[in-house]
Amino acid sequence: MEISLFDAAAQGLMNLMQFKVLFALLVGVSIGTFTAVAPQGIGMPLVYAMLLPVVIKWEPLTGIALLIGASSVSAICAAYLPVLFGIPGGGGSQATVLDGYPMGKRGEARRALGASFMAGGMGCLIGTLTLVLAIPAARPLIYLMGSPELFVVMLWGLSMVAVLSGRRPVKGLIAAAFGLLLATVGQQAQSGVMRFVFDQPYLLDGISISIIALALFGIPSALDLALTRLGVEQQPAPLKGSLFDGVKDSLREWWLVVRCSFVGVWVGIVPGLGSQVVDWLAYGHAAQTCKGARESFGKGDVRGVIAPESANDAKDGGDLITTLLLGFPQGVVTALFIVALLAWGFLPGPEMVKKNPELIYSIVWIQGIAGIIGTLVGFVLSGQLAKLAELRYTFMVPILFLFILMGAFSVNRDPVDLFVVVSFGILGYFMRRFGYPRPAMILGLVLGDLMEKYLYRSMMAYGFSWLLRPAVVVLLVLAMASFVLTLRGRLKGGEGGGVSLGRRDGGS
Amino acid sequence: MESKLRPNRSNWLFALLFLVSPLLFSVPPGFSQAPYYQGKTVTVIQSREPGGTGDMRARAITKFLHKYIPGNPTIIHEYMPGGGGIKASNHIYALARPDGQTMGSVNSTAIAAAVLGGAGIKYQIDKFFYLGAADGGGQYVFYTRKEAGTSNLEKLRATPGIRIGAQSVGHTNYNIARLLAYLLALKEPRFVTGYAGPEIDVAILRGEVDARFNQADSVLQRNPEWVEKGLVDFHVVLEIPKGTKHPRFSHLPELETFTRSETDRQLAALQRAFRIIGSPFILPPGTPRERVAILQEAMGKAFRDPEFSKEFKKMVGDDPEIVMPEVMDKSIKELPRDPEVIELFKKLAGPGPLPPG
Repeated sequence: MEISLFDAAAQGLMNLMQFKVLFALLVGVSIGTFTAVAPQGIGMPLVYAMLLPVVIKWEPLTGIALLIGASSVSAICAAYLPVLFGIPGGGGSQATVLDGYPMGKRGEARRALGASFMAGGMGCLIGTLTLVLAIPAARPLIYLMGSPELFVVMLWGLSMVAVLSGRRPVKGLIAAAFGLLLATVGQQAQSGVMRFVFDQPYLLDGISISIIALALFGIPSALDLALTRLGVEQQPAPLKGSLFDGVKDSLREWWLVVRCSFVGVWVGIVPGLGSQVVDWLAYGHAAQTCKGARESFGKGDVRGVIAPESANDAKDGGDLITTLLLGFPQGVVTALFIVALLAWGFLPGPEMVKKNPELIYSIVWIQGIAGIIGTLVGFVLSGQLAKLAELRYTFMVPILFLFILMGAFSVNRDPVDLFVVVSFGILGYFMRRFGYPRPAMILGLVLGDLMEKYLYRSMMAYGFSWLLRPAVVVLLVLAMASFVLTLRGRLKGGEGGGVSLGRRDGGS
Repeated sequence: MESKLRPNRSNWLFALLFLVSPLLFSVPPGFSQAPYYQGKTVTVIQSREPGGTGDMRARAITKFLHKYIPGNPTIIHEYMPGGGGIKASNHIYALARPDGQTMGSVNSTAIAAAVLGGAGIKYQIDKFFYLGAADGGGQYVFYTRKEAGTSNLEKLRATPGIRIGAQSVGHTNYNIARLLAYLLALKEPRFVTGYAGPEIDVAILRGEVDARFNQADSVLQRNPEWVEKGLVDFHVVLEIPKGTKHPRFSHLPELETFTRSETDRQLAALQRAFRIIGSPFILPPGTPRERVAILQEAMGKAFRDPEFSKEFKKMVGDDPEIVMPEVMDKSIKELPRDPEVIELFKKLAGPGPLPPG
């Protein structure tokens, strides 16, 4: 029986109006909040793996409410680690550390958290709305972006090194090149060739980006606290700002939220990009386009928090577009969600759009409602969480090291990870001290792997003829124009301009 | 008199025995034969990240394994991803205590890599004990997009530069596709790797690749209209184990029908054997035989439980393809080890050009 999209949307909402569904949604939100606030180690994939055997025995909507409730909230509440402790959050919240932590140090932790939750909530809603609008038009968009086009987009992303290098372009290039080099460690996925493995199983899969990001930003922050013997907010500096200042910031920067949310949705839709790039692409976009960003980004500009957080939360909407409308997963969590849908007898993809549109809309509603509840929960929690920033360094430093070591160990459960995190932490400390921008290195590491994959696929599928594809030519022109404009802006700005992410006083 | 009343040493012993005897007899008869696993914890070391399909498979199995191991031990899962299972296999081989309380659930690539001689391998597959798997088989179909103009095998053979998509070098889909290209003597085929499984189908629709191998059930599950409406051309099926027909693809020629020599047949057998092993549950060398027997029997009972298939399908999304412990043991022992076949297989499974057909 075919029904109109409007009827399906109304029916989808009506189906949720049951006590058990709403209760399951609240339980899911609680689980997601706990996962986001707990020390690293409990990732959403593990939560899904533990929940799945239980929920597949429930009625579909109740189970869906629990699963979506948990996953959509965990992203919204992920900003407290970077803002309060200078430790990158989970995937998608790493770039938040660049401006969130300097804000925390300035006594503006509440404002940063408020901005983060509000931007996250807005991003989540925009992602959800995009999901609604995409139902009739998702397929052509995905087929438009082949490997050659994606390679050029990644190349474009790499041009952000110019922004992230601040006033030290050569050091930025060195850091980015080192990141690219690190991305080559391990078995090359496409050809099977071993690179820098030295017959060590640990190196077969390369070094985890999460561990390197945690080390490069987390350990210098902890060392900083230990060496300066001050709390995060450097007491006795007076506490400034409130949650509502952050809310107002996000509302004032609504256009930035919208733009970055679309970056997030796009990353969610495109196969193979994933959450590791979403925050960096959004941050780079904001650093390139926001007025005065060259002077203020990296020193605690609230827009540097709003951009990655809105993109990260909007990405979930993009993920669901491919999961529900095309039937293929964008990561482990959506793969498990598909398994659950199959267990309930639904076949995600075009068939589901035709046969169960009201269920798709129920999922859309759940995603939207969970986003609103998650934002509110974030506000309630942040008042208490922000007080952590006032704790003395003698208390904070051991906790920070514990978080960092637990976070690193949780990635592979390998003791060697502890050695790696400490080694890269020391590297991060010296990079910071000598002005080598760590974000440029992370960008090189994150994009290196993707660029290589897309270039390899393009060459194998098309030879050199991929360079003549119309979309590639257009994207190359745009990337070049963007790079030249950024470079020209920097040169015009002279010595006084540039984002100072590599400087010791640059905060991160 | 007094000396007569004083108890000597034997009297003391007798008195003690008398006092203790009711305690000995009051012990329940089963106590002395309490199952070894009663009250114990069994740790399953998985060679993958938590939460993926492989994790769900392992969890579906251990849920029933717990029920059938006498004493119903608690079973917990730990994760040691890395190197396609090599890292976890190294650990289980050399470091895990062989007391029957630690087992592994590793990728099939860990077995294949050991036979083919991969980097970083510090274990011998013949020394593990095998408990079976639930994903050891199925049917793989090879299909091309309509626009490639290869509607039958003759056209497929005659078309140069067919682009075949796969996940990565060494992946089952890659190896089978290379074997097919070798057996059919395809003209200058190009292997485009670096995709996730569902991404390859998108690449086919986009025209980025022309063909791929995929599990028959996955095709029917993800793209049923491709089969129903004939939107792609199906050419060949690989049946694992040999002779297990898929109801929708039984009309397709089996890969082995294209073999031309004994070496070719052994190549096909080796590929089939690697796949039939699935993601095995293993025990470290030195595990006491009686505990191996307990666990193998429990695994067999778990697989035979009528509820297992239903639960597995719910948790994983696919039907289980069960490999019983004894079948797996036999398959491992009978893996072709002829150096000439292994060398040829390595060339086929590697990134270089195909060996001349």
